[in-house]
Amino acid sequence: MNLESAPTPTSVAPVRAVLEGRGLTKSFWVKQGRSLLARKTRVHAVEDVSVRLDAGRVTALVGESGAGKTTVARLLAKIIRADAGELFLDGRPAPPGRPRSYAAQVQMVFQDPFASLNPVHRVGHNLVRPLQIHHIADGDIDATVADLLRRVALKPPDTFIGKFPHELSGGQRQRVAIARGLAVRPRVLIADEPVSMLDVSIRLGVLNLLADLRDREKLAILYVTHDIASARYLADTIVVMYAGQLVEAAPSVSLTDRPAHPYTQLLLAAAPDPDRVEAPALAGRGAPPSLLAPPSGCRFHPRCPYVMEICKSQVPPRVAVAADHSAACWLHVDPNNRRITVNGSVAPARDSSDQRNQER
Amino acid sequence: MTINSTSLTVIPPVAGPTPELVLRRTRILRLPRSPKVIAGLVILVLFGLLAIIGRWIAPYSPNATDQQHWVQHVLVPGTGAATGFPASYYPLPLPPSAAHWLGTTVFAQDVWSQLLAATQATVVVGLLAAAIATVLSVLFGVTAGYLGGGADEGLSLIANVFLAIPGLPLLIVLADYVPSAGSSVVLVASIIAVTTWAYTSRTLRAQTLSLRNRDFVEASRVMGEGRLRIILVEVLPNLVPIVAASFLFTALSAIGAYVAIAFLGLAGSPTSSPPGLWNWGEMLREGFANNAVRGGWWWWWAPPGLCIALLGTGLALLNFGIDEFINPRLRTAGLSRKTARKAGIGTRPKLGMTPVAHHPPVAVASVRTVAEASRLRDTAEPVLEIRGLSVDYGYDEEAVHAVVDCDLVLRRGQVLGLAGESGSGKTTLALAAIRLLRAPALISAGQVLFHSKPISGDGPAGTIDMLSATDDQLRAIRWSEIAVVLQSSLNALNPVITIGAQFDDLLRVHRPALAESARWARSGALLDMVGMNADRLRSYPHELSGGMRQRAMIAMAIALEPQVMILDEPTTALDVVTQREILQELIGLRDRIGFATLFITHDLSLLVELADEIAVMYAGRLMERAPATSLFHAPRLPYTYALLHCFPPMHGPRVPMEGLKGSPPDMRDLPPGCAFHPRCQWALPRCRQEVPRLAPLNGSPREVACWLHREGTTVPPELAQPEPASMRPRRPETVGQAGGT
Ligand SMILES: Nc1ncnc2c1ncn2[C@@H]1O[C@H](COP(=O)(O)OP(=O)(O)OP(=O)(O)O)[C@@H](O)[C@H]1O
Ligand SMILES: Nc1ncnc2c1ncn2[C@@H]1O[C@H](COP(=O)(O)OP(=O)(O)OP(=O)(O)O)[C@@H](O)[C@H]1O
Ligand code: SF4
Ligand code: SF4
Ligand SMILES: [Mg+2]
Ligand SMILES: [Mg+2]
Repeated sequence: MNLESAPTPTSVAPVRAVLEGRGLTKSFWVKQGRSLLARKTRVHAVEDVSVRLDAGRVTALVGESGAGKTTVARLLAKIIRADAGELFLDGRPAPPGRPRSYAAQVQMVFQDPFASLNPVHRVGHNLVRPLQIHHIADGDIDATVADLLRRVALKPPDTFIGKFPHELSGGQRQRVAIARGLAVRPRVLIADEPVSMLDVSIRLGVLNLLADLRDREKLAILYVTHDIASARYLADTIVVMYAGQLVEAAPSVSLTDRPAHPYTQLLLAAAPDPDRVEAPALAGRGAPPSLLAPPSGCRFHPRCPYVMEICKSQVPPRVAVAADHSAACWLHVDPNNRRITVNGSVAPARDSSDQRNQER
Repeated sequence: MTINSTSLTVIPPVAGPTPELVLRRTRILRLPRSPKVIAGLVILVLFGLLAIIGRWIAPYSPNATDQQHWVQHVLVPGTGAATGFPASYYPLPLPPSAAHWLGTTVFAQDVWSQLLAATQATVVVGLLAAAIATVLSVLFGVTAGYLGGGADEGLSLIANVFLAIPGLPLLIVLADYVPSAGSSVVLVASIIAVTTWAYTSRTLRAQTLSLRNRDFVEASRVMGEGRLRIILVEVLPNLVPIVAASFLFTALSAIGAYVAIAFLGLAGSPTSSPPGLWNWGEMLREGFANNAVRGGWWWWWAPPGLCIALLGTGLALLNFGIDEFINPRLRTAGLSRKTARKAGIGTRPKLGMTPVAHHPPVAVASVRTVAEASRLRDTAEPVLEIRGLSVDYGYDEEAVHAVVDCDLVLRRGQVLGLAGESGSGKTTLALAAIRLLRAPALISAGQVLFHSKPISGDGPAGTIDMLSATDDQLRAIRWSEIAVVLQSSLNALNPVITIGAQFDDLLRVHRPALAESARWARSGALLDMVGMNADRLRSYPHELSGGMRQRAMIAMAIALEPQVMILDEPTTALDVVTQREILQELIGLRDRIGFATLFITHDLSLLVELADEIAVMYAGRLMERAPATSLFHAPRLPYTYALLHCFPPMHGPRVPMEGLKGSPPDMRDLPPGCAFHPRCQWALPRCRQEVPRLAPLNGSPREVACWLHREGTTVPPELAQPEPASMRPRRPETVGQAGGT
């Protein structure tokens, strides 16, 4: 892995997969219309997604709104049950249901710190309950709570324990939510857009806290976000989702520097980048598809500038385009395909427009 | 929808969402301050006291007849010795006297004593019934709402069955079926409760359903919290205001029901066996049955009637107070007239007209002449000039100074970016300049000049003073000369009319010369300009994605070829790809039409790419203004510097970044001096006392409000980077001329 020492260097210890989801698939049944007899249709929210969270690593899950990021996060936290696919905890199949032993290992932080803390309870309550439920901190609950608050940099702890959520700023609330997740001493922390509701000026503080927890406590962290720049900053690995499917996974710097999948390239082109001089060319305009009837084959094919006949019918397999770098795209399958350059990124195809014309 | 300026009036949300159902200590304490609540409470306490002590202060037993006066009878006409019929007498009730404060009934019973006994029974039955019904509805509603699925369907079915049966007939049947009910408070209350709980249960179920999916409930579940505890500890406390409101509502209807069945004679007479209870309904029934109204014996029927009305009013007032408390939207947005008048401000709340303080808005220290200002940057002529603008929310001590002494010049064809943290006053500044804010917003000082040169149409030309403009003048300018697209305008399209019809309305009003077919063609062309297919004119807004709705809003904003576009976070709710597409479209349109753009966003990294010039706001003040490239490569203000370091770069090695320390300032309680000083790493002693003013940096077309850049201080190297050598080739100068000529 060619990680230029990121916010903080990753450990040299051997990488262990703590939590792994394989082939996760989930669809929801939604009513069309409001009447009692309304037809139910299926939203194919997540299809065949595999992610792996390693100890002491941050994995970022990036994608547009509706890509299924939250659904994957909720599947991993066992808030909802997968239709298909398996979860492995430490290499062993995770227990069925949602036993407390699972909750003690895998915790989740929600997107909106204004909604994830009960407005009627003080900070203290939020931290004491997990300790009581999981019988942690035998006896000395106060000291443990104070310690938790110190770990998320809410100092001095005494001033925060008695406060109600509305007395805290957004960043402080998110810290309390993280502290609550940490209370049970989990090994996996799933953070669903932990900073997107926070003011830009305080986002980095929370991201740095997560980086710190990864390094000091060897937490395995899933960082769900739509902001690819912050994913590059924080994460060791980035996984990109589009319309419920995994499209690309790679170490964060190589993914942002040498994107292999056309959708990732589009995402990167669209991201705000003050260093850019020219306005970026967007290859693949348009909007994500409806998940009620997702496109066949590659779900990106209606927008893809490099679309081929096979893309329309066959789901592309995940192929390794470089070490640790995989993309689910037919462009990378055929070794004779000229458009794959040496470093694994797709060269702007000279003939893409011709090709599209041929296929019409 | 006819898009006119007034329909755009939007009060920006107060920083930080306020969840509706929050049980806040401070708010609870504030509850009794409302006069309605106080009146309601006084009435309720009064009746409660009477109900409790009535037994002891009653001078007589309610059933006792006053033997001494029983003799005063009145001969019924047509009877008696002369008529041949046996004499028959009306008993005559006594009017109020010292012995009988409220007189007597025809049976010579003391009305005051009866009233006291009746008050006790009525109030107790009302409260007891409400208590039983509330317990039932909480049990059913919350359980159904929380469990969902089959349990929900079963429990809801039961509730709905009760809801479907008309209440009063059921009550009558039940009361008739249990003849002894009238003698027992508990029985009466139970019967009434059974007929009233279902309605509340439904409300509670709906509320629980929405709470169940709240993140904090989900968080407890992830934590491994048990079901019962989640319901009792996490969900129920949030329902307290609603439960309280429905308790009062049920008490009110229970008293109504009790009075009704008693009046119908179904609650058992106090003289029958087993004896029923005295209550207001029973008193009224006896009075009416014995000609109290025709006989003019008001002291008999008026007191129970008044009691019913009074207690009903009290409960309703209290309920209304709680409603207001639950639903803040009912609370009046503006401040009281009295405060306004005291402050010497005429504020008839007019839709879409920000009030301006009477005291003349001149003589602001920082107002510069136009000539002086344009020396700073004479690329294009100004189209919107904001000078020393200050905007408050509220008056006197309560005022929040959301915008203080801001200067901003928007030039033709230019994109001016306005950046800053949430709550720094960006929206307030922009909307106040075109007076789109509603009271309690108040422009307390400043001057806003709009130099109009209509691109098309027959809008007014020449310089218009926005702060002294009349309603008609403003209406003529807004939308056709100055268009606004807000973040919330995702929902600003009328949901029941097609996009095409909304375009048509707009063009018909503002371009009356166009024929219908021409309007349709123009609408199609406008959609095409923002990258939408003209077919979409036939779509309803809900058939469009968020991105398409925002495009349609932009198309409407440019429909009349305005000279100024104010875009308040137009793309924050959208995906990066959609955002980028819309922004590119917008820049293309700007190049074609030549409007000037005021672009508001918190995303500085986006502005650097997009804007020609950027102004940075902090705590209501403009702190730095510079060409975009200069600001990005060579920031002069510590805050800008820190803000730029909040956005991780997309290239190069990853380095740890600090971001800003501390939290955004509280606008109600700003630090003295430079408001940024608690978070500023280079703060000087004088920063704590003196407010720095925006001043030009020697020789450059940029301004900064910071003590570091005044004589006698050494500027830290981070803030003294050289200006970028070549300014990025920005939009060709012709743009300015295109708009200017
Ligand atoms: N409980 C649910 N019932 C029905 N549909 C759902 C449910 N949860 C998610 N979906 C649908 O599944 C799809 C994926 O949703 P998800 O919330 O996982 O997306 P996301 O990537 O987290 O998006 P965002 O960035 O907006 O949070 C969406 O189309 C959404 O409407
Ligand atoms: N109706 C109001 N009554 C009282 N205070 C208000 C009102 N509207 C806004 N404010 C306050 O005025 C300040 C400026 O608000 P404004 O909406 O202009 O900020 P902003 O910079 O646009 O923020 P954002 O990025 O969140 O939109 C905030 O502190 C806000 O709390
Ligand atoms: S599989 Fe085909 S359609 Fe999908 S991204 Fe690759 S080239 Fe495009
Ligand atoms: S005036 Fe002082 S506190 Fe304010 S930004 Fe400048 S140096 Fe910092
Ligand atoms: Mg999500
Ligand atoms: Mg705003």
